Amino acid sequence: MNDEQATDMDNINTIDSETAEVQEETNDSNPLEVSEFADKKTLGFGFWLAAFWLVLISFLAVFSPMLPFKDSEKNYIAFEQKENPITGKMQERPIQPPYAPSSEHWLGTDQDARDILSRSIEGARISLAVGALTALFGMVVGGTLGMIAGYFKGVLDKVVGAIFLVVLSFPGLILAILIVALLDRSLLTISVTLGILGVAPIGRLARAQTLSFSEREFVMAAETLGSKKSRILIKELLPNVLIPMSTLAMLVIAVAIVGEGTLAFLGLSVQGSATWGKLILTGSGLNTLESSPWVAFVPMGFLFLTVASFNYLSDRIRDYFDVRDIFVTRD
Amino acid sequence: MPKAVKRFIGLLGLLTIVSMVTFGAMNFLGDPLFNILGPVAADVDNPESLAAIEEAKAQYHLDKSLPERWARWAWDFIRGDFGVQFSSSGQPPVSDLIKERLPRTLELMAVAQLIAVSLAIPWSVLAASRANRRTDKISTITAFAFVSIPSFAMAVILFYFFSVQLDFLPDTYTANDPFWGFSHDHRLIQLILPGFTLGLGSAAAYQRLLRTDMITTLQQDFILMAKSKGVSKRRVLYSHALRPSLFSLITLLAINIGFMIGGSLVVEQFFRIPGIGSAVVEATLREDFPVVLAVVMIVSAGFMVFNYLADYLYTLVDPRVRHEDSSKPRKITSMGM
Repeated sequence: MNDEQATDMDNINTIDSETAEVQEETNDSNPLEVSEFADKKTLGFGFWLAAFWLVLISFLAVFSPMLPFKDSEKNYIAFEQKENPITGKMQERPIQPPYAPSSEHWLGTDQDARDILSRSIEGARISLAVGALTALFGMVVGGTLGMIAGYFKGVLDKVVGAIFLVVLSFPGLILAILIVALLDRSLLTISVTLGILGVAPIGRLARAQTLSFSEREFVMAAETLGSKKSRILIKELLPNVLIPMSTLAMLVIAVAIVGEGTLAFLGLSVQGSATWGKLILTGSGLNTLESSPWVAFVPMGFLFLTVASFNYLSDRIRDYFDVRDIFVTRD
Repeated sequence: MPKAVKRFIGLLGLLTIVSMVTFGAMNFLGDPLFNILGPVAADVDNPESLAAIEEAKAQYHLDKSLPERWARWAWDFIRGDFGVQFSSSGQPPVSDLIKERLPRTLELMAVAQLIAVSLAIPWSVLAASRANRRTDKISTITAFAFVSIPSFAMAVILFYFFSVQLDFLPDTYTANDPFWGFSHDHRLIQLILPGFTLGLGSAAAYQRLLRTDMITTLQQDFILMAKSKGVSKRRVLYSHALRPSLFSLITLLAINIGFMIGGSLVVEQFFRIPGIGSAVVEATLREDFPVVLAVVMIVSAGFMVFNYLADYLYTLVDPRVRHEDSSKPRKITSMGM
């Protein structure tokens, strides 16, 4: 922290790398407030923007059946008055879809004249469900294993560590397509498969946090008072592990949404339902892209905003709670 | 170097476990006979098909116990024979298939890695030299956006703008075309679009790391020294500050190869490049286990070896860390598959 020695050399701002991200957000504030810790506790405008988007999209996903959106499976064929070339009479004739965005279909329709906005929101239901289930699985399984390994140490730690190492040495996506291809393509299978990929990173983080907290005074105090081990794990350690774990879980949700899309592009996504990945895939053919780019780009926008929001939220919360040194690398 | 030997043995052990798990899972969950014989495999009452089943079982060693088959496979694998494909003809042998397809994937990844590094270095130097000013802020947001675009979306975006709209980059890949050359009939040019698809996200991830490291380096005394001696700004940035900032990037380069393999599955599928990525996707759908197993082994081994090399290079480039624990935590810059 050599801010005092900082010399302005050729516009090179000299800031400590650890505080770089934080100061970026706050360097417009009053220079008299020197304490970096006082400035640190702002989440920033971007945080609320990202949070707003996630709340909005979750709300739309959960309540879409009750909201006045168009039916996502219905074909809204439009008609026009046109002269019949044979008889010469004016006739109602269907217009060839896809239709461009209009007041009727705000974000256009696809080749089957289905409303893209409704379909994207329908896709949000599946994609967000996959993300949430994945994170839940990763947190429950990875968190439990990691905390047990970190608290009891010894042989248990070695065994759990070895399991994590093996899972991490698999090429993640290949493991996912293997399981999904051999089992089935239900929502649950895909979520659990992607969840398995999240177990090891989350577990390693939980282990590292538990390890460092189990040496602290409050845990020793509880031990001296004769608390049961399960009580110490749940009441003393879990609250401290949960925040760093949930920042990682947000990343896992983002990765799961992307993973689902990747599986969709390989023809292995949730059967029978529209997901963001599948919607983008249907719009990504050469002809469709040429005639109606919105078919692919609208669901892509939804996916991008959601993934970016989860990433950003995770980043900001990590800074806010000062969670450093997250062990996610696969070494 | 007993430590290096120890790590090498650990690596081999890990690979053995990976192969056992894959081998076991595929045999428990799938039905290899069906893929070799087709519907005949289910027709057990017919003596004719029963004979065919017995014959196929003997030919593919499916009548042996699982551990024995694994041992047989492992022994062949060490000698470079990856077995026969689980299809009616079994041709070509898996080793030949891999030999044909692996170079294409390696080419793609090399192009992508090259694009990523050559974008990331000037980008991070620019951002670091203007840390916290407008240029840096915009570039940070851009990097963040790029990291959040999945490779399949990037493929569609680039395909749309450069192939459909502007029509100046080829979107078809022809495996028989020569590699080196600058027309649409050369694979180097054909790989630009797939290479950018894979490389842009990586470039952003590298930028996020290198920018932070550069800022740290730029406040050290030797930079001040160089500046006060009157070394030009450009020279300070590129020859004094860049090299000591590259250490963690080297590690990320290696780790990222693992992520790129995941991305290359989609990119190969989207741009129709017949590499090992599309081979493993096809093989998984056909339950062609020997092919999947071979690819899983190659990819895991490659991934581990690159990680190992990265740690070794790290100590080589920066002697300061030689005696420290090289497994210290690293900042996450991206997470993918």
